[in-house]
Amino acid sequence: MTVPQLRSLVPALVFTIAYAAISLSVTNSYYQLVLTLVPVWAVFGLSWNLLSGYTGLISFGHAAFFGIGAYTTALGQIYFDLSPWLLIPVAAMLGGIAGLLIGFPTFRLQGHYFALAMLAYPLAILYVFEWLGFQEVTLPIKRDAPIAYMQFADPRLYTLLALAIMLATILLTRVIERSRFGMALLAIKQNEAAAEAAGINTLAWKLRAITLSGAVAAAIGAFYAQVLLVVTPQSVFGMLVSAQALTVAMFGGVGTVWGPVIGSVILIPLAETLHAEAGARFPGIQGVIFGFAIICVILVAPEGLFWKLRDLLRKRLAPKATATLDESHAPATTVAAPRPARQRAATGEVVLEVRNLSRSFGGLKAVQNVSFKLHKNEILGIIGPNGAGKTTLFNLLNGFLRPNQGEVLIDGRNMSGERPHTICEAGIGRTFQVMRPFLRMSILDNVVVGAYVRARTDEEARKLAADAIARVGLSAVADRIAGELSTKELRLMELARALAGQPRILLLDETLPGLGHGEADEVVAVIQQLARDGMTIAIIEHTMQAMVRLVDSFLVLDHGAVITEGEPEVVTRDNRVIEAYLGKKWMAHAPH
Amino acid sequence: MNKTTKGLTRRTVLSAAAAIGVTRVARAQQPAEVKVGLIVPLSGIYTRPGQVMKMGAEMGIEHINAQGGVKALGGAKLKLVVIDCGDTTEKAKNAAQRMVAQEPDLVAATGAYLSSFTLAVTEVTERAELPVLTLSYSDLLTDRGFKYIFQTAATASRQSELGLPTLMKLAEAASGKRPKTVAMLMDNTATSVATAKALKEKLLAQEGLQLVVEEVWTPPLSDATPLIQKVRSAKPDLLLFMPNAVSDAKLGLEKISEFGLGQGKIPTVSFSITIAEPDMLQSVSPDVVQGIMTIVANWGSKGHEDLIAELKAKYKEPWMTQNVISTYGDMWLMKEALEKAGKADRQAVAQAFRTMDAGPSKYYPGGQLKFDEKGRRVGAGVVIVQWQSGVPVTVYPPELAQAQPFWPKKS
Repeated sequence: MTVPQLRSLVPALVFTIAYAAISLSVTNSYYQLVLTLVPVWAVFGLSWNLLSGYTGLISFGHAAFFGIGAYTTALGQIYFDLSPWLLIPVAAMLGGIAGLLIGFPTFRLQGHYFALAMLAYPLAILYVFEWLGFQEVTLPIKRDAPIAYMQFADPRLYTLLALAIMLATILLTRVIERSRFGMALLAIKQNEAAAEAAGINTLAWKLRAITLSGAVAAAIGAFYAQVLLVVTPQSVFGMLVSAQALTVAMFGGVGTVWGPVIGSVILIPLAETLHAEAGARFPGIQGVIFGFAIICVILVAPEGLFWKLRDLLRKRLAPKATATLDESHAPATTVAAPRPARQRAATGEVVLEVRNLSRSFGGLKAVQNVSFKLHKNEILGIIGPNGAGKTTLFNLLNGFLRPNQGEVLIDGRNMSGERPHTICEAGIGRTFQVMRPFLRMSILDNVVVGAYVRARTDEEARKLAADAIARVGLSAVADRIAGELSTKELRLMELARALAGQPRILLLDETLPGLGHGEADEVVAVIQQLARDGMTIAIIEHTMQAMVRLVDSFLVLDHGAVITEGEPEVVTRDNRVIEAYLGKKWMAHAPH
Repeated sequence: MNKTTKGLTRRTVLSAAAAIGVTRVARAQQPAEVKVGLIVPLSGIYTRPGQVMKMGAEMGIEHINAQGGVKALGGAKLKLVVIDCGDTTEKAKNAAQRMVAQEPDLVAATGAYLSSFTLAVTEVTERAELPVLTLSYSDLLTDRGFKYIFQTAATASRQSELGLPTLMKLAEAASGKRPKTVAMLMDNTATSVATAKALKEKLLAQEGLQLVVEEVWTPPLSDATPLIQKVRSAKPDLLLFMPNAVSDAKLGLEKISEFGLGQGKIPTVSFSITIAEPDMLQSVSPDVVQGIMTIVANWGSKGHEDLIAELKAKYKEPWMTQNVISTYGDMWLMKEALEKAGKADRQAVAQAFRTMDAGPSKYYPGGQLKFDEKGRRVGAGVVIVQWQSGVPVTVYPPELAQAQPFWPKKS
């Protein structure tokens, strides 16, 4: 672990120590119980966050893991007389296995479908446990060996133990957050397709995430049973349990280690206090107040308290920050080399060959019988009217879509029908028409996501990312948050993300829209420089002026089929191209 | 003039102050109040039984205090501390922890209602050594080797052991023949499961009953049609219908009536108080429930007429369910223990419960005011209640019966 990573753990350590100090001074057993439950639900929230917070796949069913853990400690003690010290790790293992078993079929679903499917698991398991006759299970009291069975007379020990589990979970989350694991999950959250395209095996990472998440949830469920002493299906598999994880995480902030902790620290004591104080006077009112408080916070801070506070803090510190930035903020000008100094490479070796590629959606033939060759170090411009099948062609090339027929040969190997991350590994990088930056992350972090496909270590990934950023000329602003960037810088950043995976072929899908004239030139210059460095590029673009200067040859599509291909000078004079795409006006203004 | 007035005033003030001081000291010597706890659900879906238990406790406290409080403690009054145990096991556990932490001078408590909550609550009170009386009847409660729990009701398995043979006798006496076949419809809550286990493993065979239909549902019941259809085609002599939620009971009974099996065409018996709750009449008409019987651990019976009248007048409750009468009785039982202990101390009170032998019980059916080594009341019996003209009345045992039972005749 590096020094900055260690430094980032300081707040967690300080918090844990402060919390432990407070709890040690509390002698009232009721307050102590509340103090124990705070880290318990925080850990449960963290385990939920590990899956749902980072991947964006909302799980309504984390009680499944929690309950498995709880019943493991309860039944293990009753039937096998095992100690919870042993049973909690066993529970974690079972939770992990459950995660894998649940994740494998369920990850075929996305969005709401995933959330709803997850909801079903704990409810189904709940009935299984009722059917098995475990409606009410109590942990046997061990009067002769209380410590060996985690039955402390001093309730403060429970709090300390819960804190230890929480600290471990925070550390684990931090490590994951900063590793390729976390980056992969974040990338999945932003855009699963783009993540696949960046070389991330999304299914594998999601399975790892749910396994780990399930293990943590089961471990804390196991500990919770030890605190509650009575396990009923409702109390560990119930809807309210799953909801608790969502509540603390969403209240505190999703996708950050602090979210569930903040949520738990505020909500658990609040609920208890309301229950004790308001509930005694007006029974039932506690639920109303609690719900109302949550609604208010969600309205004011939809992403959770943590992010709201951070944004506020940033705003307050902003004047200072911009002052310092202004000095260093050398505008991201690229080393705009004067135009074409590059020899057109038309007849190098063929790196990508497409043969008779077709794909239809029902009756619509989006791509029909497209064949072309991409030579090494060539820039191929793909043009055509809207709906001509350009983006579909890219999707076929990088594996988002399977062709109905035809072949995509990369270095002579047929890769058609492979998963996108495999194709990315084979050396094809791509950008997207619609930008998908990770707005809360720095430019460097955004780009690192793309580097993992080539890098073996985090270190190496950072280096590749830094190189890629340098190539697009964003080094000066690499530490800024993507949300603060201009469109041009974002386009360059996307380009850098594709470059970080060190592709040999780059598929650029409309890189120039939304850019001013000067800005477009800068981006074009960067692309030219890439070509000069030996990159092979296929680019979709509507800005003909820029394209004519940029590309070595054009491929013109209309209604999914190739109309013509060839050198820009020839293609732009072709009547069919003019008719289908350029329009008559083009002739008048065309650069000759 | 002025001087004297002042002097007098000052003296008066001083003496008054002294007098007050003396009374304070006197009060401190004798505890004016002894705190007892009631921990029941007062929020969430079990609010209603909790409220009813509170009524019983309040009436009990009022009567005890009006009759001179705890005599062994110089007429100390009982004071009720009410704690909401919520609607989940976790809330119940937290509430119990709050009770023992914030109310250190409680000498005993009662309540919890649902056996899952009682389990959680008593895990806490056992460790805090606070004696707890309970009307919950899960066997598990007193199977844990706990020393501070006292179960006033017959346990679930005991209830079916006691109830079924009685029921058979009743049927034989009233209709002239013994039922031979039985259908069982039950939800899968802990109490129903425990009752069914006892029935299936032993009692049905013992009584020569053949189980022809057995269906289990998970509350809430959404449609009773398939269940009742099976009953109709099997035509059993007896239907054991065991819901634990009023809505489930309503759905089932309405369907029974709709299928033309009501009004005693198939005699229907339950094993919980749900089916005899006042709420039932809000959703079904009296003729739908007419004749239905239930075997319960306690009910307002002969000898409780004044209490029932008071309950009606004060709280507008139409009749006295187990929750009221048992909790009312618990207050008297606590008073009895305090008299025996002679001091307001939870250890002494717990010991008093353990060693108590106070003769026949007035507010619980059958047996003695005496607990065995597990904490179960010795000889705890059951009561059979039957809906008669829109009121569930006690029909068994004869010494408690408010009315004669009638066995619905198979037409």
